[in-house]
Amino acid sequence: MFYEYEIDYDTQNSYEKGLSEAFWQFLVIPEDNDTQEVTYWHFENDLGERNSVSENGLGFKTVQVRSKREIDHIKFNAHFKLKKKEINPFDFELPLNLDDELEIMNSLNFKVDYEPYLRKTKLTTLPEQHRAIFLFDSDKSVFENLTDLNYWAFGHLYFKVGVTDVDTPLAEIIEKRHGVCQDFTHLFCAIAKHNGIPCRYVSGYLHQGIGFFGDSQMHAWAEAFVPNVGWIGFDPANNLLANHNHIKVCHGKDYNDCAPLKGVVYTLGNNETKYSVLVKTAEEQQQQ
Amino acid sequence: MGPDTDKTIFSSYDRKDGLFDEVFGKDGNVKSVYQKLLDLYGARSIEDYVTLNNKAKSSFFNQGITFQVYGDKQSQEKIFPFDLFPRIIDPKEWEIIEKGAIQRSLALNHFLWDVYHDKKIVKDGIVPIELLSSSPNYLHQMMYVDPPSKIYNHISGTDIIKHSDGNYYVLEDNIRCPSGVSYVICNRTALKRALFGVFNHYKTHTVTDYAENLLNLLESVKPPGVDSPVCVVITPGMFNSAYYEHSYLAKAMGVELVEGRDLFVENDFVYMKTTQGPVRVDVVYRRIDDLFIDPMEFYPDSSLGVPGLFAAYRKGNVTLANAPGTGVADDKAIYTYVPDIIKYYLDEEPILKNVHTYHCSRPDELQYVLDHISELVIKPVDEAGGYGISIGNKLTKEEIEEVKVKLKANPRKFVAQPIMSLSVHPTYIDAKESFEQRHIDLRTYTVLGQDKQFVLKGGLTRVALKEGNLIVNSSQGGGSKDTWVLKQ
Repeated sequence: MFYEYEIDYDTQNSYEKGLSEAFWQFLVIPEDNDTQEVTYWHFENDLGERNSVSENGLGFKTVQVRSKREIDHIKFNAHFKLKKKEINPFDFELPLNLDDELEIMNSLNFKVDYEPYLRKTKLTTLPEQHRAIFLFDSDKSVFENLTDLNYWAFGHLYFKVGVTDVDTPLAEIIEKRHGVCQDFTHLFCAIAKHNGIPCRYVSGYLHQGIGFFGDSQMHAWAEAFVPNVGWIGFDPANNLLANHNHIKVCHGKDYNDCAPLKGVVYTLGNNETKYSVLVKTAEEQQQQ
Repeated sequence: MGPDTDKTIFSSYDRKDGLFDEVFGKDGNVKSVYQKLLDLYGARSIEDYVTLNNKAKSSFFNQGITFQVYGDKQSQEKIFPFDLFPRIIDPKEWEIIEKGAIQRSLALNHFLWDVYHDKKIVKDGIVPIELLSSSPNYLHQMMYVDPPSKIYNHISGTDIIKHSDGNYYVLEDNIRCPSGVSYVICNRTALKRALFGVFNHYKTHTVTDYAENLLNLLESVKPPGVDSPVCVVITPGMFNSAYYEHSYLAKAMGVELVEGRDLFVENDFVYMKTTQGPVRVDVVYRRIDDLFIDPMEFYPDSSLGVPGLFAAYRKGNVTLANAPGTGVADDKAIYTYVPDIIKYYLDEEPILKNVHTYHCSRPDELQYVLDHISELVIKPVDEAGGYGISIGNKLTKEEIEEVKVKLKANPRKFVAQPIMSLSVHPTYIDAKESFEQRHIDLRTYTVLGQDKQFVLKGGLTRVALKEGNLIVNSSQGGGSKDTWVLKQ
């Protein structure tokens, strides 16, 4: 069975003093993969500049806009239609033998192949003083441990908007026990990597209207690699496994690889960014 | 001019035992390649020499051939210290250097291809995975990117020394943005002006064809489908220590010298802003470090690069030389594996030797280093320009303790090598108004193009101007000499 989604990503950036030259890159296009397919896209900016589709360094599609004249703002809209397969996140067989799992994870080939997502970044390094904050149970499989971690992170942090930003250190998030989906995800990644499990940050959209945490903006969750199974999505802000409500845009080592908007502007003043996301299924669309 | 004073050029030259002098043998006899030079000038007075030397130096100033030292309170332009007495390399010795430099560059290019594709050398246990995973210069964005002609290190600078045992050793490989080649050419120009007659007696290989060779290389690695590529040199700007060189090379190749803001990217193509409108750029000789080339992909605060450049590169619409991500192979911790890297990919014995290196990341080697600091040179693995180097036998007790603290805090950041006795060369010392022995090394420049390799027949002989000093980098008060490679 398929779900059909319509997604609107809207952003407005205003620049107090204006700017003469600028370059923006939007990382907002859902990826095409086994479970989802973009069937339509449309981009618009109010500057009349070209919207060029490109790819970032990890192979995810971006939209680039370059402005060559005096402006003081940009409005950008991306509209997508997408088909998403119904997913049963538990649809796999776990390796029964914990020793086999451990042997794979300790092999050199595994460490080499998954090096990019075993590498700890500043945002995904478990602080020294918090090493023991969540311990893996050696009698459980990787998947079970990750499920426990997902549940634990969901309980450890209180979802609160506006108290953290992209530069908030992980130690502070752990100590103050609040944050947004990015923070849940970084915490999850840090603990998974600390236990030798490849883990990556995922940015995407979340089906709205069901009451999920983090659905009003771009959402973040994690994908961890379970030996013999593959990459599995964990959404610690909602204590869920990623399913048909999760529409993936991209992944990376942490938020910095996945920022929805990057820009280079030549200006002297401050700038302000507003954005909104609207995600609907086709049915909901028709009812309006 | 004539030998009318007592003081000839070498009358007060003092040879110390135990040092390998490039000009004089142990018995004090002049080595054969220098014989003619001493026949011609050896009897001249030191005053004559000084007059000529000063003329040559003032021409450097007048042409603006200068560099800057970072970290000085007042940045100021300096001329690269220089003296007219050349270093001469015998053709047989050069053959070894040339073959060795090409061998290393080819092997490192294979290594780069491998670590950005299947990582076989790591899976086979030759190079430890930690060297990749702990290197900030290992760029995941380069995974499975195929650079044109499969070349990453288009330009390599290999630093070579002659030890007191008479053998050449490689000190390090520079394959990010090796600099100094403009001095090679300027030194030669200065010598030709000052001592034009001497070249009638020495059949010396030219160095002035470097720019031509570099341009050929850049054109040979153009993106597919381009007929006559537009090449540019991109510089971080006039405050960069090597700005003179960037402008020199652009001028000598007849291409534009640009800064990041002179270029823009649209629809994954790179354009240069000109008075006649945008011009598409196909090949960029970049003298900006990897992490600064594109704020969309690497350091977001970099204003030196061009937003979108990396995406254009990945798409194959522009070639960057050197390729991004080469820095992982000139990490000084990788250096120690170069002999293994050569054997692994080329199935050859290394032609040039490595200096034995201790990895502080290995606990037993770290202990050895901590116990023997006074006999070792401690180097940070990821710094260029001679910054952060500690030479054990020059350190005070307090300094040794400081180094120990640093080593223990971050062992991965350091390697250590025995203090090598670099060969010495007679060098004119301004303050003493005479020639004295000074330690030297040699930076060679190797260019890899499509089916073509080229080593500049000369290279930059760098001189440590402080007596007894072993660090030759220009940023650390080093000077240079014209370097002659003789024809067979």
